[in-house]
Amino acid sequence: MTLLLEAENISRFFTAGRARSLALAPISLQVQRGEFLTITGPSGAGKSTLLNVLSGLDRPSAGSVRFQGTSISSLREQRVALLRNVYFGFIFQTPHLLPGKNVLENVGLPFHYGEAVPAAEIRQRCQDLLDYVGLGKVAFRYPGTLSGGEMQRVVFARALARRPQIIFADEPTGSLDAKNARRILSLLKAQTTEGRTVIMVSHDTEAIRFGTRVVGLEKIESDEE
Amino acid sequence: MNSLLLDVKDAWLGLLRKPLRSLLSSLGIGIGVTALITMLSISEGAKKSALEKIHSLGTHTLRIETIVSAATGGSSVNLSQGIYHEDAVLLSEWLGSRGRVGEYIRSDNVVLHFGNKSVVGTILGVNAQWFAAENVNIAQGRALTREDVLRQSNYGVIGHALADALQVGLLSTVQFAQYPTTIIGLAAPKGRLLTEGTGLSSLDFDNTLILPIATMPFTRVIAGRALRDGLVISLDSKEERIILSTAEQVERMLLKNHREVRDFMVVIPLSLIKEARESQQVFSLIMGTIAGLSLLVGGIGVMNVMLANVAEQTREIGLRMAVGASKARIMSLYLWNAVLLTLSGGLWGTGVGVVLALVIQYYAGWEVVFSTFSLFLAPCAAVLVGVVFGLQPALRAASLDPAQALRDT
Repeated sequence: MTLLLEAENISRFFTAGRARSLALAPISLQVQRGEFLTITGPSGAGKSTLLNVLSGLDRPSAGSVRFQGTSISSLREQRVALLRNVYFGFIFQTPHLLPGKNVLENVGLPFHYGEAVPAAEIRQRCQDLLDYVGLGKVAFRYPGTLSGGEMQRVVFARALARRPQIIFADEPTGSLDAKNARRILSLLKAQTTEGRTVIMVSHDTEAIRFGTRVVGLEKIESDEE
Repeated sequence: MNSLLLDVKDAWLGLLRKPLRSLLSSLGIGIGVTALITMLSISEGAKKSALEKIHSLGTHTLRIETIVSAATGGSSVNLSQGIYHEDAVLLSEWLGSRGRVGEYIRSDNVVLHFGNKSVVGTILGVNAQWFAAENVNIAQGRALTREDVLRQSNYGVIGHALADALQVGLLSTVQFAQYPTTIIGLAAPKGRLLTEGTGLSSLDFDNTLILPIATMPFTRVIAGRALRDGLVISLDSKEERIILSTAEQVERMLLKNHREVRDFMVVIPLSLIKEARESQQVFSLIMGTIAGLSLLVGGIGVMNVMLANVAEQTREIGLRMAVGASKARIMSLYLWNAVLLTLSGGLWGTGVGVVLALVIQYYAGWEVVFSTFSLFLAPCAAVLVGVVFGLQPALRAASLDPAQALRDT
């Protein structure tokens, strides 16, 4: 297996006025290509913060994150944005979709940024992804007309649009019923067989079973300084 | 599709999502632009009218007329006697080769006959220099000469509209009262003397029969001195300083000649340019202030709406950042949002401004002119307001932390 992502002694503080609270205790971890890593732990352990720092949505207060040997913690904001666009896909607990765009356009949102791709190719790729997640027939419907499960599958399709190397999923099944949750988890699992890496935050025991490795975080007791 | 077009399209769709809010926030800008367009078109119209008037009166010309007593209801009873032929002679000798002095006497609403046609027109008695001083050109035949005046010939030069109405040509004999006049010249079209606001009498050159002043049947003579209705002095110099100083000296000489009785007025068309410019500047300042304030208030409204949009769309901003939008692209999106908002206000404001200016022209009778500059300036001003007032909300959107923005509820 190939080392893809590496975190070295990363931690994250948040400051509010003079108060400083610890959101992520120092942690080091390595993620291999094709791995399905599940981050688990109680509320307030810093699971989402860890995911945000690993994915470049946030920067660590200390330590560094390296993707394919490049420190993303020290990259300029524009480069990190490009990295997220090209190499990372995101699934959140609440399916975030743009209400003014139809399903097909939502899936194609990552193509608004980064390297240009011909419109016809974008359209074909997005339609293929919607077919893959079983939503080929709702391509021209608007998010407001979809169920929660359908919306999360649209988000899943969008996460795959740029053919990323890592999919970051933050409680992807948190707002879904058991049937839809299993469907999303299966789709995620299937990605690892295609060589993609999945890093998922979850406290759902069934979801954890889909992973190949579990990283458990402990609740941060004294988080005020 | 390139990133600029994508941002513009997304910004436009963002505005359409809240159409009422967008419309209301563009109102201020629209009103400001309406005021700007109306102000500029009226201002341009006033400028054009003033220039036309000044051009009509002659830029290097002095006009002197007898002051008619207001107490007599505008009849031709003078405060003293008014302008005399001797005044013209004095000024002509003083000016020498520096200019020409035209004298005239006029009689309005005279019925002229030719064959079975009768037309009401003006009869003007002039000296030979009047044609050059008034810059009246002859289309056919010739102008009246010094000999025509001295001999009291019954020759006349006719304005082209009057000639058309009477259907006369050269050497036709036109009759008014018991006086026959043989047409020896046809004046080239010249239009009206635009005298509104100057105190001078108006004259429609094209509807006038011009006779030698000595032939004029309605001459008034007081104590052996022939009265004139006015003089027109054309100067060779086009220098403002020389024209103004000549006017001052002419006025002083006339006052002295009239024993300090101001029974005449001297109008200097060149100084009207200054007055027109000053009043136009005052008008532009007032309207410009109104337009500027409207744009300022409109801009603040747009800023307010943009800040509300950014606050409402925090999660959307976080999502765009997560899928690869840089801070620059987020800023571009919200800047376009503001610019499109103000531009739409600017465009409909331009349309309303044009209509309003035309309505003012129709009802108030003011001339309005739509210059390419003003039609271009107004939407540009709206865009500028969009950029200035959209900058802060756009910066706020771009400075959001993606992780925190995604957590926004």
